[in-house]
Amino acid sequence: MTSKHTSCRAIELDLVATATGDAEARSAERVHRHLDTCASCRDEFGRYRAVDSVARGIRTEPSADALAKSRAGLESRLADLRQRRVAYRIFPSPLGHILVGRSEHGIAVVEYLHGDSSLSASRLARVEGVEAVPGGPELERLQRDLLDYIEGRRRGLDWALDWRLARSDFERAVLEATAAIPYGAVASYAGVARRIGKPSAVRAVAQALRWNPLPIVVPCHRVIGTSGRLTGYAGDKLTLKQRLLGVEGVKLRPAQRDFSVAREAMYALGEGSTEYCLPTCGDILTRSLSIVTLFASRADAEARGLTPCSDCRPDLHPLTAA
Amino acid sequence: MAGPDGFHAPPAAVSHRRMGLQPFETVVAAHHGEIYRYLVRVTSRSGDADDLSQETFLRAYRAWDGLDGSANVRAWLFAIATNLARNYFRSESRRRRAYAGVSDVRGDVDMTSPEEEQRFQETRALVERVVDGLPLKQRLAFVLRKLHDLEYDAIGQSLACSPESARAHVFQALKKIRIGLNGHALPTMETVR
Repeated sequence: MTSKHTSCRAIELDLVATATGDAEARSAERVHRHLDTCASCRDEFGRYRAVDSVARGIRTEPSADALAKSRAGLESRLADLRQRRVAYRIFPSPLGHILVGRSEHGIAVVEYLHGDSSLSASRLARVEGVEAVPGGPELERLQRDLLDYIEGRRRGLDWALDWRLARSDFERAVLEATAAIPYGAVASYAGVARRIGKPSAVRAVAQALRWNPLPIVVPCHRVIGTSGRLTGYAGDKLTLKQRLLGVEGVKLRPAQRDFSVAREAMYALGEGSTEYCLPTCGDILTRSLSIVTLFASRADAEARGLTPCSDCRPDLHPLTAA
Repeated sequence: MAGPDGFHAPPAAVSHRRMGLQPFETVVAAHHGEIYRYLVRVTSRSGDADDLSQETFLRAYRAWDGLDGSANVRAWLFAIATNLARNYFRSESRRRRAYAGVSDVRGDVDMTSPEEEQRFQETRALVERVVDGLPLKQRLAFVLRKLHDLEYDAIGQSLACSPESARAHVFQALKKIRIGLNGHALPTMETVR
């Protein structure tokens, strides 16, 4: 071994590769030419071929039981993970960076990010039990839909929703009642409280909407104070609320560091009625917003199956666009 | 966009996933067995292989949506498994246990005569001892190449080295096995598939 010929040593790597089926054609050719003239390398070549065969023979075949057990364990852990998994996507929008997240049940979260555009800036990253993972291209459609919506090219988001991030049954009821407020309409916190059968829980409704896990999709921007003021949105994002309502055609005017809905420029629907009215119909303009829903346009009202009031006839005397 | 391990198949690879043909379930079905076998081989303990193989697929699942559609999924899974195996061996005590455990699984051998069977088993046990005693990178490279037929590119990615280094690891492993078998009668080529 020690007195190996130089040419044998030079070819050793190629010889092993060739004997073990790992060489390129050209080096294999060179090896075989060398073997024709070198008996000791021929012997070595044979041994390496045998070594390779034995070595490949240590392939292990675990028992079918062990394999099945491991597979079953994996399936159960995957099922658990799948339940908790939210694939998210963060993208810039006219309203700042937005995160949208989807679980296997549907859209679970929409979130305005503060300044930073990373997951660590989000509430989602801190929700216990949620496994947030970066989503793939399949979330691009959500981004497109949402941007279309924000920019007024789309009037609804027909997404399946996952309500599991609602923190209580009460919150869930508030969110579902809010989700039922149509495009171009506004209702009040007190009105939502009435709709879920808890007319005195006005503050709790406002609090629940403050933590709305699905803003825009669950349109908490359509919920305002009974005074007609916008009151609040996602913490301190009142201008976003103003903007979203503006896109839907809701008439607003400034009111002491806030905005107020211009009731006199909107159609109105009294509680329990199926007819929408002009703001000048009867006493509707002075009735509390806890029992009146406002609509930006006749089309928005009629899209909900409402009919024009037979007294004030908004169909014959429509409001003129300001 | 690169996968979490920077993995890419050659550009010619077809993306089955992007064509909607490969949900994650099929990845599990197709590769769990061989990843499990690989980890049993390198950890020599089926219990630990159980954990590590499950962890491999849980990690893969988390990264699945972000994985490039052209990635070589099989090589990517082996890379994740290899990383986990390397972390596992960073604990020296575990490494010692692995030496002691050599093998608690049985090979699928089809021998013709009892003598040949016995001779084969002896040789095999010897090879296993040498393989289990190899430095970790050589051992992993050897197992990936000889038992799972991975390309050197993929082995290099798994071990965070170049394909040439991966090749050198396998070469060193074969040399050591060859030396370990010195003086030992090797089965003739005809008796071994």
